[in-house]
Amino acid sequence: MSIVLVLLALAIGCYLVAVFEGWAVHGRFSLMRPAISALALLGREQILPRTPDRLFFETGPILLLVAGLLSVAVIPLAPGLIITDLAIGALFLNAALAYVLVALIMAGWGPNGAYAMVGGWRFLGQFIAYAMLIVMPITAVAMRAESLSTTQIVLSQAALWNVVYQPIGFVLFVIAALGVAWLPPIDLPTGGGDLAGGVEAEYTGARLAVWRLARLVIVVALSGATVTFYFGGWLGPWLPGWAWTALKTVAVAAAMLTLGRHLPRLREERYLAVSWKLGISLALANIFLVGVIALLVPI
Amino acid sequence: MTVLSGAREGAITGLRGLIARAMARDLCAFVVPGADVARARGLDVGAAGLHRTDTPRHANVLLVAGPVTPALVEAASVVWAQMPRPRAILALEAGDIAPLPAPDAAGVLAQDGLVAGLADLRRAFVGGAFAEQVADFEAPALTTQIEYTCPMHPEVISDEPGKCPKCGMVLVEREVSGAAQKGHEGHEGHEGHEGHEGHEGHEGHEGHEGHEGHEGHEGHEGHEGHEGHEGHEGHEKSPERPAQAENTGHSAHAVHAPEQPATYTCPMHPEVTSDRPGSCPKCGMDLVPRGQAGEHGDGGHSGHGGHGSHAGHGSHAGHGGHGDHGGHGGHEEHGGHGSAPDIPGIEPHFMSMVGLTEGKPVSPDGLVMEWIDAPFGPFFPGLPGGLGLTLTLDGDSVVRAAVSSHASGPPAPDLAAKDLPDRLAALSPLAPGALRELACRALESVSGIAPGPDAATARAAAVERERVASHLNWLADLARQTGLSWLERRAAALHQGLRAAGTDEIARRAPAIRALAGRVRRTPLLRDKLAGIGRIGTSGAEGIVGPVARATGLATDARADDPAYAELGFATLTQTSGDAWARLSQRLAEIGQSLDLIARAGAIALPEAPAPLPRDGHGMASLETPRGKATLHLILKDGSAGTVHLTTPFAALAALVEPMTRQMELAEALTAIASLDLDPWGVDA
Amino acid sequence: MSLGPVLFLAFFGIAAIWFGVVVFRTQSMVRSAIALLFSQTSVGAMFLVMQAEFLGVLQIMMMATEMSVMAIFMVMFMMDPGGMGKMDMTHQKRLSLRAGGIGLVAALVVIWTAGWQGPVPEVPGADEQARMLGREILGRSMFIFESAALMILTAMIAATMVAVAPQERDRP
Repeated sequence: MSIVLVLLALAIGCYLVAVFEGWAVHGRFSLMRPAISALALLGREQILPRTPDRLFFETGPILLLVAGLLSVAVIPLAPGLIITDLAIGALFLNAALAYVLVALIMAGWGPNGAYAMVGGWRFLGQFIAYAMLIVMPITAVAMRAESLSTTQIVLSQAALWNVVYQPIGFVLFVIAALGVAWLPPIDLPTGGGDLAGGVEAEYTGARLAVWRLARLVIVVALSGATVTFYFGGWLGPWLPGWAWTALKTVAVAAAMLTLGRHLPRLREERYLAVSWKLGISLALANIFLVGVIALLVPI
Repeated sequence: MTVLSGAREGAITGLRGLIARAMARDLCAFVVPGADVARARGLDVGAAGLHRTDTPRHANVLLVAGPVTPALVEAASVVWAQMPRPRAILALEAGDIAPLPAPDAAGVLAQDGLVAGLADLRRAFVGGAFAEQVADFEAPALTTQIEYTCPMHPEVISDEPGKCPKCGMVLVEREVSGAAQKGHEGHEGHEGHEGHEGHEGHEGHEGHEGHEGHEGHEGHEGHEGHEGHEGHEGHEKSPERPAQAENTGHSAHAVHAPEQPATYTCPMHPEVTSDRPGSCPKCGMDLVPRGQAGEHGDGGHSGHGGHGSHAGHGSHAGHGGHGDHGGHGGHEEHGGHGSAPDIPGIEPHFMSMVGLTEGKPVSPDGLVMEWIDAPFGPFFPGLPGGLGLTLTLDGDSVVRAAVSSHASGPPAPDLAAKDLPDRLAALSPLAPGALRELACRALESVSGIAPGPDAATARAAAVERERVASHLNWLADLARQTGLSWLERRAAALHQGLRAAGTDEIARRAPAIRALAGRVRRTPLLRDKLAGIGRIGTSGAEGIVGPVARATGLATDARADDPAYAELGFATLTQTSGDAWARLSQRLAEIGQSLDLIARAGAIALPEAPAPLPRDGHGMASLETPRGKATLHLILKDGSAGTVHLTTPFAALAALVEPMTRQMELAEALTAIASLDLDPWGVDA
Repeated sequence: MSLGPVLFLAFFGIAAIWFGVVVFRTQSMVRSAIALLFSQTSVGAMFLVMQAEFLGVLQIMMMATEMSVMAIFMVMFMMDPGGMGKMDMTHQKRLSLRAGGIGLVAALVVIWTAGWQGPVPEVPGADEQARMLGREILGRSMFIFESAALMILTAMIAATMVAVAPQERDRP
């Protein structure tokens, strides 16, 4: 039952995120547009590029979708409203998101085109930059909760949300999350103006529809993770728990989709340099600080 | 009901009807020749409800915005072939676009025409997106023959599939049409994937180190010096033996006949020699005369002297090794194979890639990867439309850049002198006003009629208006490339409002434009992205003109010598750092300056050809266009323009691209190229 | 162990072996790397089936990233990484056969001679496992892990130093 409910919530969330993305990209707010675009995409021809690595080309979008769905599985909508409440949920989320990288490499390699391939390998570089920054803030979150279970992590924030408790970790996590979902300004693998679609460039029709759906699922999963880790999940007054989670998730997703568009696309080399030189130092400092606070102040 | 030129095959069912209606409401256009040209021609694609895509694969409408050159039509036909069906063409005063199919909707080259055309297109989609029978389309550029080549030896080319005579690898097919250069993304892929040739060789060396399955640096280190190598003289550091060359085991090594005066040898196994033709006992390949095999034969390694500069870099995966081998005097020890004691379990002659990577270009990073020629144009998003750019990529760094113009076209011969301003203006959609002014000035210099001072300032104001518009248009393209969608929208909107505005209108819009310039300067991280990109030193800047030169610190501006501008109080603005950020700052400053100049001029007037015109004469004029000084030489013969020689800043700026982008990361190289604001139109006219 | 987990275990075991075979059967270097990835992922899934959640997920996570990094090194250093040239990458077959055979025999010997005590009767819960693992890593095994980490770090730095090609300007 909870699986159906979570998937339903996910579908609605994806749709809303698509609406927001359309708003951010085209400057027009339209509730209908994602449905129309999806229908139109399904009607288009599916083109197979010349001499592709067919297996990779077909597997890429599906693996991306699977990775997104798996990462959603450990995000609690409300107490008990979770697909699987793993004891090591936070780690599982990481493991699932690691396959985003594999999917992009496969999708980049598969079509046998220069833009796609450069995009796919670029994402590997991007991964090197964000990988540590997504794991280390979660470490600090788990330290406070004394558990890797996402439900426990939410409960640990009853007194104070982690966004206040560990703001450094929050900022780092959001920057890393933008990297995972290749959202602007870190959309290096698809970069419109410099790779003309990159890894997406050779996908058409239904395959492209699956790819875009998978991307939306990943954005929702990352917003859900941000809410779970930093905004107290379902915690909140007046409204029922699931409503709080849904509201917060959509708000975080909308912020992630729109804010980055006011920045120019980062240079990959700068993203790597800043992530490692500054980001990892800050993440370590964050772990240390959280440890000290957790020992000294019982909140 | 008419069927779309690019309808998708399929019976018309209820569901398909629904899908067709959805498509009609979700039109995604790939704009030919480019968004900048479309904007300059007065089209606002977004406002018309058309979503602009970056790749033809995601588009279902090919929007041909205005007349295009034959080269661009050919490239557009490749784009058309890449678009998924159902697809349609919307042509706005595009003229003859064959070999593309006839447009599904057409209109006048204006926003109204675009909107009306889209309405037609929507109706066409609803009714004709699917059809029982559809026509095939083959882009002429894509239908030329296929040839087969060896992935390792590009010089091996065959008309038929088969095996490479040098290494025995299966030949792969590749296109030999102009498509790869001209297409949007013209299937560059073949090289792409088989590429990245790396160097895995020297497994032969591993044996004696007892490291199995580890390839790479340590192995080479051992051979860095002579002494290390000679110690292992007997061991195989054999050349190439890849591909079908089946490892038949130790028995194969019985075949060493170095002492014989051999005339035939195996391309793969130089130690296999024979005095008569036949096939190689190791791999079954035909033996070739010694001379032919030379490239891979014993002496072949001296050829690695070319890599000599890398010798001694132990860390150079491949080339360090090559260079060292070269240093050994070209493997004279090969002769000693026979005496090499076979190490049990280790097969000598395992494919060392020395020969296979021979002749491959060397990157400074030492990795022998296959280079990819990837086209970025003529319709690449974020670059000027019509600009042909081919980047040779080594991984994601640029090793070579070739810039050309697909948009150049000579004016028709024997054109009447009085038509010259119109014809010249039509040459470049990006700077029509400046070229018109230039033509009028040249005609005036022929006829000796000079405009009055008021007319001169009003005409200068028109050029300045175009400068502001051109810089805004460039800003929109730069925003597209850097992913700043708000800036693209804003700059495009201001550009549309300003293109043909009068002085009052411009005065009204000036604050918004200045505010935009301020906001661009304050955009977070933009400076960080552009600073240091595509830097030009003053020493390398000879001959360049326009904002690019002024951003470098050269005060070259044709306006400084113009009395009309002197009257308006013009002073040349410059920057110092000469990078992409300086070019942006320079253009933003020039926008402000031009707005001031227009305000001071107080009137805007387009130039007219002077009358009466002499029937014969010679004239020359130059003008500071938005991209730099352009010069027009004109010889009138018998009332028509006999010789028209136009020099635009394109050639000088395009020459900067190659040195500027060398070894740059791809995205940074494209940013650098975009910052030059190349205008490929009207070149060589 | 009930039938369901056994079936899953067998499935993932066979998948691991199958992907392992694919590693050597394919001509594309990238496919080879990705096949190795999925072979390791299957091993991680086997951990999961055996209720070792933490280890399984860790395995699944680490392999995704490690093998992807390996793939790009394959692309950079190997010729013909796409396998377009249909090149035979196998070598030293006899040695490999012998080594593989000896390995197989050794594994079978270990399996048959080890004193298996039957399925572990009580598997602690996943949270308890994670806690115990944490105490182990941060307690008795800390020195081992720390020294291993230091060695890996040293190796990484050394490898980077070796790999960085000297530039012209670096030369004296």
